[in-house]
Amino acid sequence: MRNTCRFWLPLFVLGIATTTVNAQSFRVQCPPSTITHPGNNNAEPEYTEPTVYKCSVDGGCHGYESSVSNAGGNNTGYLIPAGGANGAVKCQQISGGDGFSTMADGTQTYMFSFGPLSGLADIANGQPGTQFPNVFNTVYPQDGAPLLPGDPATTDSSGGNFGYNGAIGLVPDLSYNTVNLAISSMSETGHIVNFTVPASPNLSVGDTVIVSGVTPADYNGMHTISAVLSAGHYQFLLPNSGVGNGGAGGNVAIPPVDGHVDPRQIMDIAVMNGNIPAPLMAIDEDDEFFLTLTNVGQIMRPDLFEQHTVHFHGYPNASTFYDGVPDASVAINIGGSFTYYYLAPDAGTYFWHCHITPPEHLQMGMVGQIYVRPRQNRVPKGSSLVASLENQQSDLRTACRRPGDGASPSVTSVPDILCSNPVPAGSPTATHDLDRLGNLHKYAYNDGDASTAYDVEYPIQIHGFDPNFHFVGMTFNPEGFADMKDKYFLLNGRSYPDTVTAGPLQTQTADGASHFSQPLPAIINIPSGGRALLRISDLDVSEYQTLASLGIPMHVIALNAKMLRDEEGNNMAYDTNSITLGGGESLDVILDASNVPSGTYYLYTPNLDHLANDAENFGGLMTEVHVCGGSVTGPTFGNTCSN
Amino acid sequence: MKPMNKEKTISMTRLLPLAMAALALLLTASAYAATPGIQGTAFTLTARAAFLTQPDGQAIYSWGYGCTSNVPGSAKFMPEAISGTFCNEMQVPGPTLIVTEGVQFTVTLKNALPMGAGNTSILFPGLQVQSVSGGVAGLLTTEAAPNGSVTYTLVANSPGTRAYYSGTQGDLQVEMGMYGAVVVLPANVPSVCTTGLPLTKPGGNAAAQSHWKETDFRLADSAYDDPNTCYDREYLFQFSEIDPRIHRQAEEQLATIANCTPSDTNVCPTSLNVATEPYHPAYYMINGRSMPDNMDPNYAIQYPHQPYNGNPHMHPGELTLLRVIGQGRWQHPFHEHGNHVRILGRDGNLILAPDGKALAGPLLFTTTTTPGLAMDGIFYWSGKGLNWDAYGHHPGSNDPNAVLPCMPDANGYNTGDPTAINYFEWCQDHNKPVEKAPFGDVSGGGPVTLPDPNILTNGAWFGGSPYLGPDATTRATFGSCSGANTLSSCGTSGTTPPSGTIANSPSSEAGFAFMWHSHNEREITTNNIFPGGMLMMMLVDSREFVIDESF
Repeated sequence: MRNTCRFWLPLFVLGIATTTVNAQSFRVQCPPSTITHPGNNNAEPEYTEPTVYKCSVDGGCHGYESSVSNAGGNNTGYLIPAGGANGAVKCQQISGGDGFSTMADGTQTYMFSFGPLSGLADIANGQPGTQFPNVFNTVYPQDGAPLLPGDPATTDSSGGNFGYNGAIGLVPDLSYNTVNLAISSMSETGHIVNFTVPASPNLSVGDTVIVSGVTPADYNGMHTISAVLSAGHYQFLLPNSGVGNGGAGGNVAIPPVDGHVDPRQIMDIAVMNGNIPAPLMAIDEDDEFFLTLTNVGQIMRPDLFEQHTVHFHGYPNASTFYDGVPDASVAINIGGSFTYYYLAPDAGTYFWHCHITPPEHLQMGMVGQIYVRPRQNRVPKGSSLVASLENQQSDLRTACRRPGDGASPSVTSVPDILCSNPVPAGSPTATHDLDRLGNLHKYAYNDGDASTAYDVEYPIQIHGFDPNFHFVGMTFNPEGFADMKDKYFLLNGRSYPDTVTAGPLQTQTADGASHFSQPLPAIINIPSGGRALLRISDLDVSEYQTLASLGIPMHVIALNAKMLRDEEGNNMAYDTNSITLGGGESLDVILDASNVPSGTYYLYTPNLDHLANDAENFGGLMTEVHVCGGSVTGPTFGNTCSN
Repeated sequence: MKPMNKEKTISMTRLLPLAMAALALLLTASAYAATPGIQGTAFTLTARAAFLTQPDGQAIYSWGYGCTSNVPGSAKFMPEAISGTFCNEMQVPGPTLIVTEGVQFTVTLKNALPMGAGNTSILFPGLQVQSVSGGVAGLLTTEAAPNGSVTYTLVANSPGTRAYYSGTQGDLQVEMGMYGAVVVLPANVPSVCTTGLPLTKPGGNAAAQSHWKETDFRLADSAYDDPNTCYDREYLFQFSEIDPRIHRQAEEQLATIANCTPSDTNVCPTSLNVATEPYHPAYYMINGRSMPDNMDPNYAIQYPHQPYNGNPHMHPGELTLLRVIGQGRWQHPFHEHGNHVRILGRDGNLILAPDGKALAGPLLFTTTTTPGLAMDGIFYWSGKGLNWDAYGHHPGSNDPNAVLPCMPDANGYNTGDPTAINYFEWCQDHNKPVEKAPFGDVSGGGPVTLPDPNILTNGAWFGGSPYLGPDATTRATFGSCSGANTLSSCGTSGTTPPSGTIANSPSSEAGFAFMWHSHNEREITTNNIFPGGMLMMMLVDSREFVIDESF
């Protein structure tokens, strides 16, 4: 302890000196456009060539004279897209706090955990909660049922359908930059109010407006636009009817949606809303990703003032500021929101976790999955994959050049030692065609030869829970690290047989509400003759775990988010029937069912003591692979065999 | 914000004497790492017992290899620029033996372990044992009997890093600390490596180093006899564990043996019978030290038997050779924050494509250490693809360093001027702002808004801003800005550490800190105390900060 104190004590002292009390500071960030993604970012454009750049200031990008149209001799500008940019903007919000999960033997386990605060309907459906700006920035409808603690489980369990994917808490910012429009007419028929205001700015369905100064006063107050008749002519719904003609006069105020949030909605949803694994994230190469972490505190541990962070594990050329290591950057206190920002790195299976006191926060459950999809998915139908990959070589950010790689102009120097995406050796002829489900084929990496193509994909996270540690973690006692011994062995936060239970698992927590605690099953359904991509990551904190396949060979195509390919583009993928991972590792496996009869197969651990759920000598790290007789139906992760 | 700042000033003034006293206690010189060891063709090692210190205050009875009479004999300390070197009679890990490919060398082992500890020996996996003289026959190799010695004559047929460790009762002796590293330097360093990196401007990195008066601490210009293995900087990391019960039991039994008086009724034990299972380690070490001790200097006097540290530093774009060895008996998922590592080879076997012209080792962000296995890999960090200017350049600033140009080379990096502080900047993101609002003397217009700094807690290695280096950090956090500019006006100053950090000061270093650690996270503890164990902070330092590995 001597040296530890020497490091930490003075920091503590200095920390006291500068700490001031401040109110909560929740907010979200999701700009619809940025300097490098101007225009509309609500869909992924096709990838036909690398983004073409110009300088933000005419003549201001010294050094880019040969490649940028308006570059020049001075140094006052930066590169921005000349036309459309590849990729889009993606946003997500998560909470840091606590929650409970249900183990396969029925035990309810306390967790330090992240929960979803955007994309809730998608996450309940076993899909990533990552959204385009137009979805993320949707305000929860003002005129519908309010958000309830435990949602979406509360609404879904009572026969409702929770379909909202926007950012929880997002509300119009009443006190800031409100635009006022003069009302030229307002009238009501059967609860429906028609009104006319100047045509600019435009209003859309779902926008919040505040009416004031109208007589009769029944019209005044906050409303949500229900229909747009034409520019300047809109409708909203009024609880009263027969209120009479409002006529001209008064104002419609349009408060902006700028990331301002209502903390009550956030607390209603986020308290005890922990998930294991933490909310799934998926982005595409060239995207800008805005991830907001909102720390709501740990209701079961009022003695703790835990900060949380997000570490994007494995990101190449990571930013230390957004790396989530509290020692090396900033950590987010209770009552605060912080937005992490990254340009999506190279495609691959990464994962994420809190980096505060990792042996504690990871064991307690603050672990999640994130993957980056390749731009090869966005190549137009029918075009050559290798030509697209050669095309990517002309952008230095995405290049992985070597002499004789086919891209132009040719190079003579050896490749960047850490680049991982060389043009494949030989002369592959694959084009972008349809998969077995009738969609455009998807790929794990920019392979140029379709060697990483798949029909269905499944994120699978390996983890372990030590029930003694979790019990102590719920109390006020210090935890022991050296004695940590996992007793529950988890795939996507579940042990067998819960791994093969469809849909989200829910757990009733200390707030009395049931929450979707484990949204992701680990059932693998493969269409007849198809290929399933398993994105396997391991965040176990105490030991290595092996996952074996009975029957279907595991084709390992990538390690640690890098395609298995040597610097000359030779394919180094290999077949095996088991893979072994320690905490902090990931790999990609393709299960190829092309010569496999339909039926049920198993993924299980040959660490035989891990085939147990604490005292039950049955269960543990195991799940089923279904090779369907026909196709699969449903969203990717919650799907079923059609026959 | 303004009243709050005033409040901060007042409270700081009140606490200043206390803070100054605390800082004075704390300020230790920055400590770096390199690959220190002893180089020669004839090594004499002694196996002996001593106590290792742990940051929880424990002294752990251990065995290890050391130099006779505290000097390395005919060998010399390398790299020569490191001062204060010593080779004690016992150290953990044992002395790093630096030899050259194809050159025969000898290792003489003298057994000075306590009475009752039995024979001992050394295995050199991957090296050719050409002959052995002296010693007594053992199971795996020839052993040195108590107070005896044995001499191994060896040669390395290929370059690269390898482990050495006890070949006698390994479950006990290796656990007790009897292991070390052999670094084999290539016999034929390729000319492209002697000319120097980067390939886009041969010798540019060396020119930058010399401009900032930095010393070269490498053992060689390349890791192997291959042009793909040039490097700028190197570090050796050995991972091991300690189960204190085993050490305590060995110590107690040896005391019993030493103090026993035989009689008709008392039969004295003559050998150890230590239970090495079940195995329950509580200390997890890199180069024989637990964090934070591993961040103190090499040869720090407070660790007489643990001379090697773990404290990597590098500049953007420098190719850094990692020599990683698993000692002990467990595997550890060693996770390098910041970037991937290209594995060059295992146990001195370079992994190449079928035509032998290109590298074929995997790219890993977690390099699992395995007992007895040594890996060589290359790491670098450049900030490529961040989509914002990590140097916080500001075209409107009066600071000449804030308006440096970025002239991309064939790979997109600014390598034209080795004397510029943004040497090796990734040019595609040059001048691109990250913050929406201006941030001190760094322009705004970027995508994100930083929250009120009061909802954030700053870390000990946080440089004070999102930007690299003291110039950018000073401008972002304290700088005033008076010149007209084309992008934006100057903003209020951004987030700052509580009042300067201990490990990575905003005004002198302000590097980007990345944690390198075991991702079996319970291993970043020291006997149940967090933080500790297998954890280091790697610093990417801006070009103007001088990395001095000599102390």
